[in-house]
Amino acid sequence: MNQKPNDFTQFWETVDRELEQVPARPELTEIPMRSTQFCTVYWVKLTSIGPYRIGGYLSVPNGDGPHPAIMQTPKYGSVNHVPDYNDRQRYLMFTLMHRGQRLVDQPWQASYPGLLTTGVADPETYVYRSIVADCLRGAEFLQSRPEVDPDRLAVVGDDLALITAARRPEFSHAHAAGLMFYRLMEHCERSSAYPVEEVNDYLRANPSETERVADTLSYVDPVFHAPGVRAKSLVSVGDDGAVGGPEWLEPLIQAIGGPVEQYRVTHRGGTDNDWIDAWMARQLGTEPMSKFRRSVA
Amino acid sequence: MSATQRNPETFQTSVQRPPDFDAFWQAILDDVNQIPLNPSIEHVPMRSTDEVDVYEIHYDTLDGLRIAGWYCVPKASYLPPPYPGLLIVPGYVSEPTLPKSWAKQGYAAIGVAPRGKLRSNDRYNPGYPGLLVHNIVDPHTYAYRGFYVDACRAVDFALSRPEIDHSRIGVHGSSQGGALTITTAALRSDVITCGAAGAPYLCGFMDSASLTHSYPYEEINEYLRLYPEQEELVRETLEYFDGINFAPMIKAPMLVYIGLEDDVCPPETGYNVYNAMSCQKTLHTAENCAHDAGAFWEMAHIESFLAEHLNPANPAQRADTTVG
Repeated sequence: MNQKPNDFTQFWETVDRELEQVPARPELTEIPMRSTQFCTVYWVKLTSIGPYRIGGYLSVPNGDGPHPAIMQTPKYGSVNHVPDYNDRQRYLMFTLMHRGQRLVDQPWQASYPGLLTTGVADPETYVYRSIVADCLRGAEFLQSRPEVDPDRLAVVGDDLALITAARRPEFSHAHAAGLMFYRLMEHCERSSAYPVEEVNDYLRANPSETERVADTLSYVDPVFHAPGVRAKSLVSVGDDGAVGGPEWLEPLIQAIGGPVEQYRVTHRGGTDNDWIDAWMARQLGTEPMSKFRRSVA
Repeated sequence: MSATQRNPETFQTSVQRPPDFDAFWQAILDDVNQIPLNPSIEHVPMRSTDEVDVYEIHYDTLDGLRIAGWYCVPKASYLPPPYPGLLIVPGYVSEPTLPKSWAKQGYAAIGVAPRGKLRSNDRYNPGYPGLLVHNIVDPHTYAYRGFYVDACRAVDFALSRPEIDHSRIGVHGSSQGGALTITTAALRSDVITCGAAGAPYLCGFMDSASLTHSYPYEEINEYLRLYPEQEELVRETLEYFDGINFAPMIKAPMLVYIGLEDDVCPPETGYNVYNAMSCQKTLHTAENCAHDAGAFWEMAHIESFLAEHLNPANPAQRADTTVG
């Protein structure tokens, strides 16, 4: 296991202070092509630290609010989809793009492969310090919206969702799956699949930096953020003995500050999608909706 | 209108094959064949290992564009040449990953980045969402005209490499990668030895848009909500790009695998494209699986299928799970 850095709390409080000093200056532009009879979709721009202008899709259900709401933290990759059609019918949805991803890749474009190790030799220069800030800025924006029901406000995604839930504990619910930063140095020893292989590539080229890289990555390891999570959380759990399995995740589950449920994935996407959708619908007081329509007109 | 239970296996596609489909594509191939490939290859030490050399590659294609890709080759000290070639073709929103794990099995593996993907998008970048409906009313300028050709040009790149056995070149991908597997195997049926296509996208476009609200097909629904008067032109264009219309052109053995609860690429269209193939073929269907198409179990079958036809030197190594 990684060691929690001595200045972990101070490090992230500094990021919070940097965010406080940068007004978000939200800018909302309706996207008629994505809007439907039941929702209006906007492209949102916000300023994060740097300063850097980040963005995201905001879908607001038509009709009176406040609405249950879900923030989707950005995935690892250049593209994040427009929020799902079914989700837009039930929730106010906000899907964030972090700096460097498509639609917010000016003036800086993230590399794939490459993002995972950008600036990794130093926690102060590591790109995920800024990407976490982008997520926190997105959370602040969503939590400020009058259309949002603050008692039914979820964040979903990978490590970034847990970190966001920890550092902006106003979220009532969280769902985390496919964690990338959790025990990442150990994961690297067991995998040569990208994006984890990016770290192996980096360390092969820079073998003297192993300790520094491990130190940097520990700042974004969700296990050290987890005590700050107050949300009711769902964690997707993989197979026995595997990375992402119950033994692997046990320290994280134990560390999460709020109530935690675990879902054992079946690797059958239809089953898994439906179960997780129904869980979130129960928590936020809406109806389950399968993405796969079993009957058609 | 009353709702009926879906039965993907018996679904009848609405796709028609344009009478000039073959001539349309032959003219495009004739054009691209006039363009010198101008391949370049640059070693990337940071991504290379004791077993595999990684290169960044580029080549020329239609419309004066230069296309990027990754080329992962076993080191001669690890496995001596010649190697079977394997194209790994990308999904819609995913960036091509480095196919190092395939190279460890003994393939000279090319990760293709057609136009619009990062590193191939400085002059063509319709974005995501966007690519699926870019110039969708005109088959002569539609996004996938060049996109399909860019994937085919990777076959030409493989043929330019002396360490590749030109009689053993396969293609594999899932989702859009499944579509590109089909179109490449069809358009380069003179070269492709076998193909493994997962959850094939770009098959039965209009049927798919009527069966799902998931992206990317939802882009078509959105476009037609805004421009309903364009529906006939959209349908006409898409029939020139439909995998169902390419399928009969394939001569190589094909493995197709689909999820029976796939909300992204409806299983109906997976059956339709499989049924349209006249080559030696195998279909695997995964109950309760969605766009994953059962990849958790299917990867072993994919590796065996490719190994059976391409005969890599070290098939005992495991490949990374193919993502769409």
